[in-house]
Amino acid sequence: MGNIGNVENRAASAGKAPAISCREVGMTLKKKKVLANVTFEVEAGSLTGLLGPNGAGKSTLMRILTGLVPPETGRADLFGAPAGPERLGVLSFLPDRGQLPPYLTAGEWLQFAASLYPDWSKTAERDLAEELGVDRAQRIGAMSRGEEARLQLLTCLSRQAPLIVLDEPFTGVDLVSRERIASAVVGEMADGERTFLIATHDIREMEQLFDRIVLVGKGTIQGSYLVDDLRRSGRSVESCYREVFA
Amino acid sequence: MPPIRTWTTDDFRLDPSRPLYEQFVEQMRAMIAKGELEPGTRLPSVREAAASLRVNPTTIMKTYQELERLSLIVTHRGQGTFVTQAETAIHASRRLLARTAVAQLQETAASIGLTLEQLLALAHEEE
Repeated sequence: MGNIGNVENRAASAGKAPAISCREVGMTLKKKKVLANVTFEVEAGSLTGLLGPNGAGKSTLMRILTGLVPPETGRADLFGAPAGPERLGVLSFLPDRGQLPPYLTAGEWLQFAASLYPDWSKTAERDLAEELGVDRAQRIGAMSRGEEARLQLLTCLSRQAPLIVLDEPFTGVDLVSRERIASAVVGEMADGERTFLIATHDIREMEQLFDRIVLVGKGTIQGSYLVDDLRRSGRSVESCYREVFA
Repeated sequence: MPPIRTWTTDDFRLDPSRPLYEQFVEQMRAMIAKGELEPGTRLPSVREAAASLRVNPTTIMKTYQELERLSLIVTHRGQGTFVTQAETAIHASRRLLARTAVAQLQETAASIGLTLEQLLALAHEEE
């Protein structure tokens, strides 16, 4: 099976350029400093949680990583090269609000998305549609928040991009959908070849998934921890979050 | 041969402030010692276990590695991971479970100023 041998693959990928590397990233919007001196790394093959309260600067950081805006100061690299529109091929992004066309059915949308993305995998789409319980006949406009979130994740994961960035994948999503989303995410990263960055303030749903947590508050990094190290010192993700933000 | 075992989140009790793989190792070791996981049972793949338990795949890999190191599970290339059929390994895990239980009992006894034997005698005393 080579199940256990995968640990070596993972160790080998640790020698590569980090999936994300931010060095002293700063950003001012409307004369307000929203990010200052943001420095952190996300190891390739890991699942990192970007945690922080609303207004901490997470969304601005996501906009920089996804190439929507360049950082004002410092640099943000994906796999060793600067983030930007030309790097969209290495990154698959799930935005925090539903923006899928409501007049299409899930099946019509997926067909469109498959034609849009050069790295779309029909096999991944088929397997994930089953895992996530997506009904192809359903019209997007008639979906619950949870159903739409699952379709969005399906869209995001059917691409073969090595870096997946999810912005608040659980907000307003029902329990069963949250569980299916979490299961699909861990299933996808099992071969150690995909890297996930998940921005969230729903810690309880996700804390068993993270390898590392990066805490963002007041526009800068308040801490970065390997979750196993935290637990070895008797702390949980939640207690660490409280210490930093409460 | 016993069928493949699949997990649900209800099979384990996890404390979020201790390393998760340590807890999986302890709890699976106990399941093997008690026979809840029969010798020869096929375990789910890392991917399947991580997805059904909703934990990081690395956690499951570390768990399986540690159980393999303890000779409680074996991986057959191309076939999967199985609970050992070796009596000695299972016996060793039962012995470890017994020792842990006795050590806890000894601690309880010491906390009320008794030896283990005195604690047992006191517990068996008639009202």
